[in-house]
Amino acid sequence: MDDATRLEIFRQSLLSRRLEERVMSLAKSGEVPASLHMGAGQEVAQIAALAALRPHDPMLYGHRGVGYWIARGVAPEVILCDIAYKEGGTNQGKGGPMHLFDPARGVFGETGSLGGNFVIGVGLAFAEQYHRTGNVAVVFFGDGTANRGQFHEALNFAGLRKLPIVFFCENNGWGLSTPTAAASAVVDIARRAAGYDMPGVTVDGRDADAVYVATRVAADRARAGDGATLVEAKVDRLHAHYLGDREPYRTADEKTALWVNDPLARLATQLEAAGTDIGVIEAEVADRVERAVAFMRAQPLIATSTAREGVYADPGHAR
Amino acid sequence: MTRPLKYAHAIREALSSELRRNDDVVVFGEDVGAFGGVWGVTRGMTKEFGDRVFDTPISEDLIVGMAIGMALRGMRPVAELQYADFVFCAGAEVFLNTATYRYAHGGLPEMPMVVRMACGGGGFGPEHSQSTEAYLMHTPGLRVCLPSTAHDAKGLTLAAIRSNDPVFVLEHKRLYGVADDVPEGDYVVELGRARVRRTGTHVTIVAWQDMLRRALVAADQLSDDGIEVEIVDPVSVSPLDVDTIVASVRKTGACVVVEEAPRTGGVGAEIGAVLMEHAFGYLDRPLRRLAIPDTPVPTAEHLVDALAPSTADIVATVRELMR
Repeated sequence: MDDATRLEIFRQSLLSRRLEERVMSLAKSGEVPASLHMGAGQEVAQIAALAALRPHDPMLYGHRGVGYWIARGVAPEVILCDIAYKEGGTNQGKGGPMHLFDPARGVFGETGSLGGNFVIGVGLAFAEQYHRTGNVAVVFFGDGTANRGQFHEALNFAGLRKLPIVFFCENNGWGLSTPTAAASAVVDIARRAAGYDMPGVTVDGRDADAVYVATRVAADRARAGDGATLVEAKVDRLHAHYLGDREPYRTADEKTALWVNDPLARLATQLEAAGTDIGVIEAEVADRVERAVAFMRAQPLIATSTAREGVYADPGHAR
Repeated sequence: MTRPLKYAHAIREALSSELRRNDDVVVFGEDVGAFGGVWGVTRGMTKEFGDRVFDTPISEDLIVGMAIGMALRGMRPVAELQYADFVFCAGAEVFLNTATYRYAHGGLPEMPMVVRMACGGGGFGPEHSQSTEAYLMHTPGLRVCLPSTAHDAKGLTLAAIRSNDPVFVLEHKRLYGVADDVPEGDYVVELGRARVRRTGTHVTIVAWQDMLRRALVAADQLSDDGIEVEIVDPVSVSPLDVDTIVASVRKTGACVVVEEAPRTGGVGAEIGAVLMEHAFGYLDRPLRRLAIPDTPVPTAEHLVDALAPSTADIVATVRELMR
């Protein structure tokens, strides 16, 4: 990974982190719904993975944070409006923070129950292979979602048909309150790849370079026609599952220890050592976030008259 | 030009013509490739279309979920679930993701996908004999149609593939081998438009597929008694053509719904409610529902016959109602 890429990963990760923190403060004050699942600690891995893919590779994102969209160039204004159920977002209050849709940027949405991403992602990859586009689909998911049955059905078929797809697992060690070790027979999700005749790679998800390289290898392999890869990034969930989760299942000390390894701070240290002025980037990001908040505040709520819109594409279904 | 064609062949003709017309159409499901499907619908198609007609593993979530992903990337997938019961194996992908994906994403994605499945009949057991249209019609975001003739099977299949919404086509096992006049050329049967299969003045029967065949025989017998039955085939239950059903019942003043599925929460329950809303003042007699009593479908065919509405049941119910 070159210095410019690393700097861009940092810039996007910082914007994601600060935007999310702003959403948390807006949610605490009641200005926006407290519906976002925080991605702090995982955004560097998300963004480094997307940096290793092409801008139009179709993506189904996971439910933690805003990093996936920032990486694809979705404006913070759009993200905030979807979170706040306001005009100016993409899903018109129908999907809130989990269903941002922007196919021109390869952002193809997410299933609310999460496991659907595996099999829908296989459909995306099938279409890319069928149309010979050279694109690689990417599906982001957590270790918790890896226990859904669709994981098996999707990876089996992707392995069978050598589909161009990267299954990117963000293993943060928790399915809400349940430790991975209490939910999965293997704690390294990548070990399951052996059953699907595809490579399974586990990397330190706090290390942007390691994530970038592993994802790049997986994408190159897929583009060469050699099929799918299961990439597992070991990451830390720095916040609770959701706002209002008091986390009785882990201690304050455990969380403090995680923050010591904050991958964003690690990137900042690396860049500072190379002469980057982090303060300047922080100031730019803070300004960008506040402009987005101002925009969102000025936007109207989605009109109630639109609540019935968007169910069907063809006419003839109104009753 | 029309010619007699069996229901299964009519569906195959629709699939084949659309595969020829549109490169983005693919057909897949369990054993639909070289084997031709357990119902024979896709028999011989791999010879012409190669791997555009392909086998999947026994993975119903994959079959339906993959169709969603293909549709999001501009394809027009036609998936087959071997049995209509298997809609529950694919439950998350059908009732959660297919149904809500467009709405949850602000009405932006189009979902041109078809899920075909074989419903009804007897001799296959409790998990291979269900008619699942009531579950599907309850779910916003899906379109659901029920071809009762070979003519409609071809025209509905073509309409389903060309729709920009997910369309579930329930094909009846006992109809696959039944022939009727099918046009050679291209035509669509409109999704959401019912057909009056027989006109009459005394009582309306709403029935489809195998129950429609029984109702038509019953109507002939009842005509001998001087009871003239009007028969409405809904063709599609989502959307349900309320106007056609209500117009018929306003004319006749009585209604019997016959369905090959459990009574509670069935299509007949919905039609009954619709009639209360739109035809209350026109009803001279109470609604009657003939359905499978609230049991699973047994395996032994003589037990199925004891539970599913028969021609004799329809005749007796109408006679009693019109007394």
